[in-house]
Amino acid sequence: MKKIILLAMAAIMFAASTYAQLKLAPLNIKERTLANGLKVVSLQDNSSPTVAIRVWYDVGGKDDPPGRSGFAHMFEHMMFKATKNMPNEKMDRLTEDVGGFNNASTWDDYTNYYEVVPSNHLEPLLWAEAERMVNLNVDEANFNSEREVVKEEFRQSVLAEPYGQFFENIARLSYSAHPYKRGVIGNLAELDAATPADAKAFYETFYRPDNAYLIVVGDFDQRQFDAWTDKYFGAIARPSGSIPRVTVTEPTRTKEVRHVTTGQNVPFPAVAITYLAPKSSDADIAPLIMASNILSAGESSRLYQSLVYKQQIAQEATLTLDNKVDLSLAYLYAIGSEGSTAEALEKSLLAELKLIQTRGVTAKELAKAKNQVIAGEIQSRENNDGKAIAIETAITYQRDPKKVNTSVARLQAVTAADIRRVMRKYFTDTNRVVIYYLNEGGTK
Amino acid sequence: MKIVRISFVLLSLASILTSAVPAQSQPPMPGPPKAVSIPAVAEKNLANGLNVSVVRRTASPIVTVRLVIKKGANNEPASKAGLADLTAAMLTKGTKTRTATQIAESVEFLGGSIFSPAGWLGTSVGVTVTSDKLPQAMAILADVVLNPKFAKEELDLIKTQTLDGLTYDLKQPTSLANYVVSKYSFGEHPATGTKASVEAITEKEISDFYKANYSPDSAVLVFSGDIDQQTAYAMANRYFSRWKRSPNGTKNEAISERPKGQTPLFRRILVIDLPKSGQAAVTYAKPMSPISRKDPKFFTASVLNSILGGGYSSRLNSEIRIKRGLSYGAFSSFVWRNSSVNFSAQVQTKNESAPEVASLILTELKRMVETSVTEEELIPRKAALTGGFSRNLENGGGLAAALGDLYVFGLPTTALNSYVGDINAVTSQRVKDFASEYLYGGDVIIVGDYSLFREDLAKRFPGTTFDVINADDIDLSKDNLRK
Repeated sequence: MKKIILLAMAAIMFAASTYAQLKLAPLNIKERTLANGLKVVSLQDNSSPTVAIRVWYDVGGKDDPPGRSGFAHMFEHMMFKATKNMPNEKMDRLTEDVGGFNNASTWDDYTNYYEVVPSNHLEPLLWAEAERMVNLNVDEANFNSEREVVKEEFRQSVLAEPYGQFFENIARLSYSAHPYKRGVIGNLAELDAATPADAKAFYETFYRPDNAYLIVVGDFDQRQFDAWTDKYFGAIARPSGSIPRVTVTEPTRTKEVRHVTTGQNVPFPAVAITYLAPKSSDADIAPLIMASNILSAGESSRLYQSLVYKQQIAQEATLTLDNKVDLSLAYLYAIGSEGSTAEALEKSLLAELKLIQTRGVTAKELAKAKNQVIAGEIQSRENNDGKAIAIETAITYQRDPKKVNTSVARLQAVTAADIRRVMRKYFTDTNRVVIYYLNEGGTK
Repeated sequence: MKIVRISFVLLSLASILTSAVPAQSQPPMPGPPKAVSIPAVAEKNLANGLNVSVVRRTASPIVTVRLVIKKGANNEPASKAGLADLTAAMLTKGTKTRTATQIAESVEFLGGSIFSPAGWLGTSVGVTVTSDKLPQAMAILADVVLNPKFAKEELDLIKTQTLDGLTYDLKQPTSLANYVVSKYSFGEHPATGTKASVEAITEKEISDFYKANYSPDSAVLVFSGDIDQQTAYAMANRYFSRWKRSPNGTKNEAISERPKGQTPLFRRILVIDLPKSGQAAVTYAKPMSPISRKDPKFFTASVLNSILGGGYSSRLNSEIRIKRGLSYGAFSSFVWRNSSVNFSAQVQTKNESAPEVASLILTELKRMVETSVTEEELIPRKAALTGGFSRNLENGGGLAAALGDLYVFGLPTTALNSYVGDINAVTSQRVKDFASEYLYGGDVIIVGDYSLFREDLAKRFPGTTFDVINADDIDLSKDNLRK
């Protein structure tokens, strides 16, 4: 008897030690809103002499003007050009030239501008971000040359990549009404149609303090930072007039739709099976993220084990959750290997889907996914920029920076029953678009 | 302009003392700079010769462990291209007691993932986990390094995956260019292998390569993150002390003869015709005669590269992207080997612009050789370099990779501490001398849809004959690249 009890206790202790979750240290953020509506989130952390700055605007690809797909992104490029008080590329002088870096990115739902600099350079950067929030000059020569850069970006990421058009097609063929269907990068014809006048109108409409967050993490003194923020951003007036928002409702899908698409220089067939999923703030997003992890993260994941390792018909296979503010998209996709067919990829992806819908996931799989989430989050929050990104993610998808301290707990609370429920709820036969991507003229 | 930094400090102190309000039309001055601390590295050797290096960072409860073995593609014969890479990949595909799936499952259950890429000079095997999971992760890491099984069915799958990857790479202009350049210009074999070499590699050859090259006396085990020295040494000892030295190592391949001294600006132009390619990849590739990684010229080359093509504000990106909108990005790099250096500049552009971009690259090389860099340009380009270096050391993974790199080149860990000083010591004259000695005489390689730039190329390079190969006719294992 004693021996069995000991073994049982050992098993419990093992379970407790391996299933126990490390707690993520909370980020002690400070929030304030200036009189002009700018929301400021800061986190003082003096452990390393750098500071991460992010200015987040509530405007993205979905806000492209009609007939101007790709415009929000092209406009983002213009934000590095001259302002009233800065010459072209002054942001690079203030960052790269002093040992920092800067960049920006445009997404369907938002646009961000960010820098990491030695902390003694915080004040000039706050001045510069405030300057380009209100004083941008749109000059025709800059506009035309940057349009060419964006067209090269399109060619590089969409045309020259063997699967560039495959990924570009996913949103285009999955949304029927919502502007998400246009994609952020747009297309060459509509980029060519854009004018500097469009840029001025877009800037005035969306680039304003009451449509932005300023996020700063790192080595600063809180009182000093608040004073600088008041001085440089507080001076910007809140424009009158409201900010237009996308109100298009994507209709519910009623039957399966299938597409066969082709591209140049496509080495192997690829398949995507897409499903409309809830908006990013919905409670069902957390179980969908965990399901995606169990199906796709690492070589022990279900789709890798089945399609890549055992059947050897794919080079990669995943369930991706493309989290979107208005309506997310969940899609299974696989890129084939030598000799495999689109039909075989589709069949195997659907078989794995059926399995998770009927039998659910195991306790061990769920624990593994939770361990990966927590380890990934600890790792990505290692430096100031990583912490700023975590805050930005909470703002983007949950419209509340405080959620940075609960978003991981929300994932940790997901149960196997939750996963099975959401997999049955969204991954239905009538909510399905199937996209094949093949080499034009067949395989060689 | 030399006193830019000092004047910044003085001015900002003045502004603090007088509470002067900076004019709104000018950016405010930065505050006084703060010292960047490079973390200290502790190291010791185990009895079997394994070097153990430990850097403690307690900011996050996470640790990266990285084992770096000083052997890579450099140690395989050209006819066995891909052998080092496949050997490394096979480590995590089964041991005497764990299957490939069990290895993936157990590491991923710990919240980590295990990686084992081989490079030209070294092979890394590593894992990043939260510090509470480190003992379990170490047990798996040691098992894959010490007891790999090299089973045939696992090798067959990896070979198929490698060949599929190759098929994909040969359809993407820059990837295709990189394979061509390694053979055509640098006289090397592709480190990931060719179709013929990968197909022919057997599990016996993998096992032999492992036995000859994986040895504790040519390896470093780096711990970086939330772990103290004593714990790290104890773990290294527990898991790696039974690793036995290998009796013999394979010799480094002799490198091909490389051009010395002054040569014309460029040697030859090769076109790889990839019909219907979405863009062209334009590459300038220069195989350089030997320079030791320990030579101060390493720092000169780094500064030169920062000016020419390292980073957004470099000359190539300014001229090609920012001024002319011809590309999404134009960059260059020096890749250091033990006994040689490979320089390349690379740009993707629309097919029609490929000849213009090729001539712009050559113009910038000429400017590098013929004119001196001003201090006004030199100072910020050094800052971009040293800033990027410090930022990379702000996370455990970056630190571990930097230390592994130093080990592979036989450099002391204190090179981390002296880096910023060594970069700042580079003068404009050193940059010009280096450019004059090394930059000219390389090859121009254009991969793209030839029908779209054929005429312009002939017009821009009159009197030059171009070698043209169709992408479908390429055989990377042949010296003339043709099937």
